[in-house]
Amino acid sequence: MAIQTLPLEAGVPVRATSGSGRRRPDTRAGWGMAAPFLLLYVLFLIAPTAYGIIMSFFNSSLVHNGLGGFAGPDNYTEALKSSDFWSSMWHTVLFTIITTPPLVVVALVLAMFTDRLKRGRWFYRLLFFAPYVIPSASAALIWSWLYAAPIGLWGTWLNDIGIGAPNWLADPNWAMASVGLMTVWWTLGFNFVLYLAGLQEIPRELYEAASVDGASPWTQLRHITIPLLRRTTALVLVLQIIASLKIFDQIYLMTGGGPNFATRPVLGFIYDIGFTDLRTGYTAAASMLYFLLILAVSLVWFLINRRQQRSA
Amino acid sequence: MSAEMLSRRTMLQGAGLLGLTGLAATACGSSFASGVAGTAPGKSSLAYWNLLGGGDGVRMVSMEQAYSKAHPAISLKPVTLAWGNPYYTKVTLATLGDQPPDVAIAHLTRASIMAQADLLEPLDETELAAYDLIGKNFTPAAWKKAHTNGTLYAIPLDTHPFVMYYNTDVCKKAGLLDEDGTLKNLDGPTALVDAMKAAKKVTGAYGGVISINNDTATQWRFMSSLYWQLGGSVLADEGRKIVIDDAKAERALAYIQNLTAKQKLMPTSIDYGGATTMFASGKAGFYFEGDWEVSTFITAKTPFSMTSLPNVFGGTYAVQADSHSFVLPKDAKRDAAKRKVIFEFIRSMLDQSATWAAGGHIPAWLPFQKSAAYDKIKPQSDYKGVANFAHYDDPAWYSGSGSDFENIVGSAIAAVSAGQMSPAQAVPEMRTKLTKYANTPNPV
Amino acid sequence: MAATTTIAGRINVQRIVKSRAIDWRARYFNWFCVSVLIVFAAIWAIPLLWAVDTSLKPDGEIATNPTRWWSGHFTLHAYRTVVNGGNIGTWYLNSFVVAIASAGLAVVVCSTTGFALSQTRFRGRQAVFGAIAAGLLIPSQVLIVPMFKEFNLVHLLNTYWGLILPSVAIPICVLIFAAFFNGIPSELAESAHVDGASWFHIYRRIYMPLTKPAISAVFIFTFVWKWNDFLWPLLVMTNPRMMTLPVGLSQVSSAYGIQYAEIMASAVLGALPLLVVFLLFQRRIVEGVATTGIK
Repeated sequence: MAIQTLPLEAGVPVRATSGSGRRRPDTRAGWGMAAPFLLLYVLFLIAPTAYGIIMSFFNSSLVHNGLGGFAGPDNYTEALKSSDFWSSMWHTVLFTIITTPPLVVVALVLAMFTDRLKRGRWFYRLLFFAPYVIPSASAALIWSWLYAAPIGLWGTWLNDIGIGAPNWLADPNWAMASVGLMTVWWTLGFNFVLYLAGLQEIPRELYEAASVDGASPWTQLRHITIPLLRRTTALVLVLQIIASLKIFDQIYLMTGGGPNFATRPVLGFIYDIGFTDLRTGYTAAASMLYFLLILAVSLVWFLINRRQQRSA
Repeated sequence: MSAEMLSRRTMLQGAGLLGLTGLAATACGSSFASGVAGTAPGKSSLAYWNLLGGGDGVRMVSMEQAYSKAHPAISLKPVTLAWGNPYYTKVTLATLGDQPPDVAIAHLTRASIMAQADLLEPLDETELAAYDLIGKNFTPAAWKKAHTNGTLYAIPLDTHPFVMYYNTDVCKKAGLLDEDGTLKNLDGPTALVDAMKAAKKVTGAYGGVISINNDTATQWRFMSSLYWQLGGSVLADEGRKIVIDDAKAERALAYIQNLTAKQKLMPTSIDYGGATTMFASGKAGFYFEGDWEVSTFITAKTPFSMTSLPNVFGGTYAVQADSHSFVLPKDAKRDAAKRKVIFEFIRSMLDQSATWAAGGHIPAWLPFQKSAAYDKIKPQSDYKGVANFAHYDDPAWYSGSGSDFENIVGSAIAAVSAGQMSPAQAVPEMRTKLTKYANTPNPV
Repeated sequence: MAATTTIAGRINVQRIVKSRAIDWRARYFNWFCVSVLIVFAAIWAIPLLWAVDTSLKPDGEIATNPTRWWSGHFTLHAYRTVVNGGNIGTWYLNSFVVAIASAGLAVVVCSTTGFALSQTRFRGRQAVFGAIAAGLLIPSQVLIVPMFKEFNLVHLLNTYWGLILPSVAIPICVLIFAAFFNGIPSELAESAHVDGASWFHIYRRIYMPLTKPAISAVFIFTFVWKWNDFLWPLLVMTNPRMMTLPVGLSQVSSAYGIQYAEIMASAVLGALPLLVVFLLFQRRIVEGVATTGIK
């Protein structure tokens, strides 16, 4: 084969190879096309990670350049012994625990019901997904107003029907649950849409066959729909858990971490100690410990998924 | 989907997007233009941040409007942020982000920390002299506190001490007023307790009230005033040492707990709003808070007056206070012309001290503080002497108004006030938590 | 109980009789579904409706009758105050610039990389793939402290780039594109090579037009994410004129105190842009969500 020279396109010169099978000199093109990404990736993901790890061994400050005095493992030991740090980790986990079940189960139920409709599906999809596209700040303002004691709507309605309304955001026993409730309203739509997509993939014939054979709608849901949604549920579950572990916005906006730090999550702790108390070295260490938590959860899911795929 | 439908759909979507951008552009209006082209010609802008909400906020807004009217060539851009740590965090981040406000309010206790963190511009006293912003025109204690390591960093606006409000009707019926209608002297360890007992008989509810729930600042102010009257200190060596005197601290705490939980002269569970409402409606004879609630009670038409907190323990008088001041966050791009505008603004604010003082704070601007006009503002001018006994929080990088320090000690004090913890338990709790901070290397 | 028999299209009298008899069970269940859905729909609609309602009432009425829906004096006064007095227009602009630039750049940068990983057999490809997949495990939230110090050092704070740059190189987007490209038969590339086209040409003219769903998904995902992002912009944009919409909104309650009409008007105006976008591009957005999820 003759070597053909071709007009340069986007500065990437190309030659057709001679002879040796399918091998092409792709290396330059490959690296070239991946270069912008890799550059940004190194600068804004790898470098900060490395810098963060290094910083965690020093007493760095937000307002001073450089790394500050060497601290060795002190930042880590301080964090591991700090009740404030562990409280904030617990608050993050607690938030995940109380919001994940409703966000998964309610979304599933509503999606299954919506899937049965012949008309009007778009209406419910619109309604449930709409809150998901509004910024956390809007949702937080609206729900703070709904929760405002004593004039908020929710409290007034509860009081009107005889149930005493709690002081939603100022009562340490209720604050986390109140934020959780708002979060369910705000983000359920995402899981709802994922479930709807999963439900579309189930062949209608299965239902027809089952109903002809006498299965009630409930039975169909339990024995056909839910088992076939296993993959979607696994996906919804892991996405939800990982997203919940990153909680910051709603708590910062609605309770400020209060009352008296009763709701402050790990990211809130990092924000307060790193950016108010200016201790960036210490919070870099706290960030790494938090990273380990998220990593652990991801790995657990990965292992469970692998085992399921092997046995399936 | 046919090609025709596709194009119709795309057109619709395109039109929608265009509509949105159009909406955004019109909503921006002049700010869009100024955002793109810089400020409109002829108008210099002045970015001013503060943390003044509620009654203070209303007064500050009227002062800002008076300034704008007198200076039409300057476009004043005020921003009000939530009080406490959130405000100082934002000012810090903005300064680090190279786009700080031109001038900002800061408590003197926090200004010194910011100065040490190299976030504030040092003020040239000769430059300030052109506007008469010189030492002898300000309350000495505040002027001194405005210096860090010998350099001036802040210009004081006021001193706001912790004071005692009293309901004149209730106190009259309880026999606590002098012939001239002012409160009798209640100094001494028992006088105030007895007075509250008498007031409680009149109101049928409580003798006095102070905010407890979710209000660590107020709790700290009350206890610290008593503790400092005993001569105690909390922090030394810029916060590296905890020097709490257990006996004195427990004595101060016991005094408070006696009033609330033991003798039930004050409620043990009430928040800020509840406390103000209780005093405003006459269900309590005495109210303890900073001086800024004056406007609330005037609006509520409560028959009241104010005086300094009594000297309960008989030592050198002291009362907790802080001062609002004006600071210039560091900005390399600031030039002499902008500084001129800033100083003129500060001078204008000080000249309006009458408006500010009506809200309860003791003006730091002596030309007004010493004037007859100020004396006429009653009852605000009744406690102006307190300005010289104002005790600022012990300096430390984690201390000051709204700081972690106040949160820690305030929580322990609140637990004592609520009857949930004994003084003997509270002091070690404070010490333990503060020691952690004391042992932390100073990030400033 | 042959659940897998396909009966569609087969007309069988016996089956019709049977199916009519049990039809009532399905219809009863459907009614139940609709009732539940309507209840939940009502609950879901209330917050936004209440926000709009409050924003149209005079502040005085809100103080005296905070929970009454009807007002005798509906007014746009709160909206006028917010639009004229505040910075909301500037916040719209900032959010728009950041979101569009991030989404556009993310599509370009991640698609070229996804293509390179999928189609070009370059040396070190596996290592790069592994490095990018590893990046999936690092959430950006754990990096806010070192990133802030980095950006402070290079003076990128309070700039658009401070928000755009960290959001362009996103591992998940690369993998979405790579997965899509893998689904396209490589014969297309082969024959194009035979015709003498460069890799970039193949990418741009042949493969990209075939990955509209992936482009949609990545663009929408990045756009919505950057528009609503809060924590990082909170740290980076501290000048009120540079703030994005969520950050600006977070300050509104300090500015307006208990003027709930103005606060709700701000919240509604803040929610409006993406709601409108969502209404216009519903199908694409929902598809994008589903695609992202599945990948």
